[in-house]
Amino acid sequence: MRKNTCEEIRRELDELMLDETCSTAAVDHLRECGACRQFHEKQTKLRQIVGSLGTVAAPADFDFRLRARLASESSSAATHFSLFEWSFVRRGLTAAALLIVFATGAFLVRNVLNRPAGGGEVAKQSAAPEVRESPRPAEAYRPVMPESPKPTVVNQASNKRLQGNRTERSTQLALRNTRTLATLDSASTGAEVINGAQPVASSAAFPIDASSLATFRVSVDDGRGNAKTISVPTISFGSQRLMQHANQFAPKRVW
Amino acid sequence: MNTLTTIDELGFAPALQQDVLEDTTSDHALLEATRSGDQDAFAELVSRYRNQITSYIYRMTNDYDGAVDLAQETFVRVYRAADRYQRSYAFSTYIYRIATNLAISELRKRKRRKLISLTGFFQQSDGGEAKEFNPPDTRPLQDSDLVDTERRNAVQRAIGTLPEKYRAPLILRDVDGRSYDEIARILETSEGTVKSRISRARGFLREKMHAYL
Repeated sequence: MRKNTCEEIRRELDELMLDETCSTAAVDHLRECGACRQFHEKQTKLRQIVGSLGTVAAPADFDFRLRARLASESSSAATHFSLFEWSFVRRGLTAAALLIVFATGAFLVRNVLNRPAGGGEVAKQSAAPEVRESPRPAEAYRPVMPESPKPTVVNQASNKRLQGNRTERSTQLALRNTRTLATLDSASTGAEVINGAQPVASSAAFPIDASSLATFRVSVDDGRGNAKTISVPTISFGSQRLMQHANQFAPKRVW
Repeated sequence: MNTLTTIDELGFAPALQQDVLEDTTSDHALLEATRSGDQDAFAELVSRYRNQITSYIYRMTNDYDGAVDLAQETFVRVYRAADRYQRSYAFSTYIYRIATNLAISELRKRKRRKLISLTGFFQQSDGGEAKEFNPPDTRPLQDSDLVDTERRNAVQRAIGTLPEKYRAPLILRDVDGRSYDEIARILETSEGTVKSRISRARGFLREKMHAYL
């Protein structure tokens, strides 16, 4: 009980400022308790010493140095801003250059990957145009096509490529590379002449066997000896898909 | 706030226009004026607080030149952050908080650098509390002023050995005579913590200064 009282009194004395008066209970306790009195005396003396440290004056040139510092900081801040701006621009340029390099690289890599693996073979085959038409696609389409003129020269390599397990894009690219071979020259075969005054619906449509075509070329004769050749770029009639499902329409055992 | 380009733009003229800046002008009003570009107002703030702040940082760091530098840094920060100043606390609390943070940062930097200080020689090898290295001189002193000076030096060194968390509240309370409430706001802690830390700090000092008590 007494210990608690001593602690409380000491805490009270500790929290007071030196010039503040303590409570009567504390005064009474200090009168009775020698240990607390001694504690209080030492504590007061210590606080007086610490308090005597007082305030240290700033140097006389404090204001001048502060002025100089603020001025130099503001000017250096402006310099820092311009440097920051320049570094920002430089970073932007670097990023743009990197982006361009990366895009170019990606484009080149993509082109290389999409190039057909058997390019040399195709080139070799293109040098030998004696290759005859592959009978398979022609037979597959024969039942659904009414009397179509037979193509004279058809590249077999393009058919092989169509049957291969490649993407449609790579197939188109490959066909584009062998454009000279995959052509159908209909100039030598006769075709129905359509009169301009004749309505289109009444004229008979002439079917085209596009199963083995990459590029389609038609020669049109106006009947006076003037022939015009029309080249149509790569035409896709969904032949790949047709060939996959061709078994449904083809007679049995055709394949 | 205007951007300074030359030194002379800061009107720290020793002869302030007293008709404009009354002594009764509050710190808040001075800072408001500083914010709107009045350099005289900032000069008045500096003149009000430069000694207090320099002294406080000096007591914290026990290095006068460093304390002057940090006091200047305190004012630079006040000037720079004048736009962001909020009037929720007293300006003295605000500036003391900046000064405390700077002083504590400096103390931590020193600790990292492991500067060899005179008090450092007497720190225990196990990392315990540093002991007062300056034993009392038992020879008779010729002048009572010398006794006081010696005692003040001793207590200053003893304060320098206190952990920073005890040092700041002790200085703010016993040297600067600030209230617990204000100290709590400056140190951003509770009043109870402040009281407890001050009590612990006095206990440490009593042990270190027993020869003088």
